[in-house]
Amino acid sequence: MTARKLPSGVVAHGVIAGAEWISVPRERIRETLTDLKSQGYESYVFMTCVDHLATPTVEKPPERFELVYQLRNMKSLEELRVRVFVPEGDPWAPSAHDIYGPANWDERETWDMFGVRFEGHPDMTRILMPDDWVGHPLRRDFPVGGEVVDFSEDHEVWQTAPPEA
Amino acid sequence: MGIEQLSDRLGENVLTTTLGKVVGWGRANSVWPAQFGLACCAIEGLMHTAGPGFDIGRFGSEAMRASPRQSDLMIVTGRVSQKMAPVLRQIYDQMPEPKWVISMGACASTGGVFNNYAILQGVDKIVPVDVYIPGCPPRPEDVLNALMILQEKIKAQGIKPRI
Amino acid sequence: MSDTKLEPTRSPGVTITRERDVGGDVLTVNFGPQHPSTHGVLRLVVDLDGEVIRRVKPVIGYLHTGIEKQMEALRWQQGVVVTDRHDYLSPPINNLAYALAVEQLMGLEAPPRAQGLRVIMSELTRIASHLIWLGSSGIELGAMGVFMYCLRDREKILDLNEEISGFRMHTSYIRPGGVTADATPRFLEMLDAFIKEMPSNVDEYEDLLTHNPIWMERTKGIGYLSAEDAIRLGATGPMIRGSGFPWDLRKDRPYSGFETYDWEVAVEPGCDCYARYLVRIKEMRESVKILRQALDRLPGGPVNVDDRKMLPPPREELDTSMEAVIHHFKLFTEGYSPPPGDVYVAVESGRGENGCYIVSDGTHKPRRVKFRAASFVNLQAVEHMALGHMVADMIAVIGTADTVLGDVDR
Repeated sequence: MTARKLPSGVVAHGVIAGAEWISVPRERIRETLTDLKSQGYESYVFMTCVDHLATPTVEKPPERFELVYQLRNMKSLEELRVRVFVPEGDPWAPSAHDIYGPANWDERETWDMFGVRFEGHPDMTRILMPDDWVGHPLRRDFPVGGEVVDFSEDHEVWQTAPPEA
Repeated sequence: MGIEQLSDRLGENVLTTTLGKVVGWGRANSVWPAQFGLACCAIEGLMHTAGPGFDIGRFGSEAMRASPRQSDLMIVTGRVSQKMAPVLRQIYDQMPEPKWVISMGACASTGGVFNNYAILQGVDKIVPVDVYIPGCPPRPEDVLNALMILQEKIKAQGIKPRI
Repeated sequence: MSDTKLEPTRSPGVTITRERDVGGDVLTVNFGPQHPSTHGVLRLVVDLDGEVIRRVKPVIGYLHTGIEKQMEALRWQQGVVVTDRHDYLSPPINNLAYALAVEQLMGLEAPPRAQGLRVIMSELTRIASHLIWLGSSGIELGAMGVFMYCLRDREKILDLNEEISGFRMHTSYIRPGGVTADATPRFLEMLDAFIKEMPSNVDEYEDLLTHNPIWMERTKGIGYLSAEDAIRLGATGPMIRGSGFPWDLRKDRPYSGFETYDWEVAVEPGCDCYARYLVRIKEMRESVKILRQALDRLPGGPVNVDDRKMLPPPREELDTSMEAVIHHFKLFTEGYSPPPGDVYVAVESGRGENGCYIVSDGTHKPRRVKFRAASFVNLQAVEHMALGHMVADMIAVIGTADTVLGDVDR
């Protein structure tokens, strides 16, 4: 790890499975991303959301939704993961589409799949599901769906939301 | 003089048959598929079957028309998602009669590996299917086998209209 | 400016709207999801001023399969089968990303023979993927003979796949812990024969296309993407290497032993479709070089990691060891559980950076599996590359991006 200044406002910092991560509050995400981009993390790898509903881990995450941004410095070949926790009752985050171009579609996908809205995004519409679809499929309380397989133990798992199954 | 010689030669050069058989033979040997490649099965079922290893041109089907208005057969090659289902029905409706549907692969037949919210569990929920091919993806030989089964079906149909 | 908008016809196949704009008539044309040249079910809504493209808006989602949700409902080892099917032109490479991610989370490393076999399958798949790209690009731009030549060679690669795993396409060969089964002697012979004849086949494709005046007219100067734009738009793979920037994950963030092989990164400074074509041809040649080296120094040894908590014991042990029976039972009813945490691993596929981000909550099913799809990000670059060109060049631009819709929509 090179001597690199951590952006201000970092709430937590750690290393997991060899990868470094930092956690920032939702209000500071745009500053953090701009700061990291100016420090050389110009390459945006991906952004996604994780739903921690009813997670059985010992260390419970602070909020239900966790946005994960993965950034890469193409010169020093380092990667950094930025985590932002978004509460369930108030699921929004500021958009980063003008800082990193590819975030545009990733944010639309997160809205479509998880229901986390991005303020300041030019086109916050569904991207993978049909426009009139109801529900956010990758949330843990959205059932997997499909057809019930008779006489199968798994069909309860398929048709009910994971925490109850 | 003339008519006896003619009737001898006629035996070699003239076949008697029914209109249905001729029409069925003609239709069966020039089935033109519509290019409806959705996913992985399209690589095996359309590209490799039309390719040099498993030439579908032997069966008269290498003319894979881009426009559904010029094709007879829709081979549904791949998984049909929620957004694609109305498009598939529209393409099927745009094909003129007589038309047939081969459902290729597990995803098109029953939903395949993907038993979830996003995939139509079988394309026969929206279009009538004539031949199902299991496999993930099926070999090109399976597609040719299905085409041969369909050809038998077409010959048997003759000139009867399908309701 | 009067608003003389005609009602668009409500059909998913074709939507035509005419608007009177300040700069002249703008015709909105739909390159529908059912189209022979869009490499799958891609829908593009294109604004045309005459024949010149003014705006391109891709509409995706027509192949959304819910793979990420499906993997949350399947156990860790069952998920390998589903990973084959998102980027369906390079299934072993998808398997490799997932396998490396799970192994990294569990702190294991596959044995050397498995790594060698993984490299062999990756490179064979890269060649197969580029052959499909070359064949379909050729047939879309009018060179129909190239398609037949490419499929002839792809048949040989599919025969190799079948020999080693039983499947032609979706091999599911590379799994967390190693590979499914060892290579048979017949596979090694077939691979040797393939490596010997492939360079002359690539020469054939170059003879047909590289100095072909029609090919050069249709691809030179089309789809310009500078290196800065490529980095800004997140494009990876031949999209960025065709703009002079030598970024290849196999060299820059190597995995599976790629750093030990002697090969070059294919880079071209042209920034247009022709440059990307040259990059992919050169990548095929470099892949053959890697295959030669991998085959020559394939080490002996086991092909699976020797950890009973991950992979089942051999059947002979079940007769004698109670512990083996318990392991077998646990693995086949419940499956292994990586420790809680998350990890991201990226590999270089034919399209660019194909990565797998997994989040484990310590149970036998994943909490979240996210695929960082190269085509999803490269397609955003297509919006930028096609502006100012004519409608017929749209086909060349989509072809050069080499998007696989299974990857885009997952």
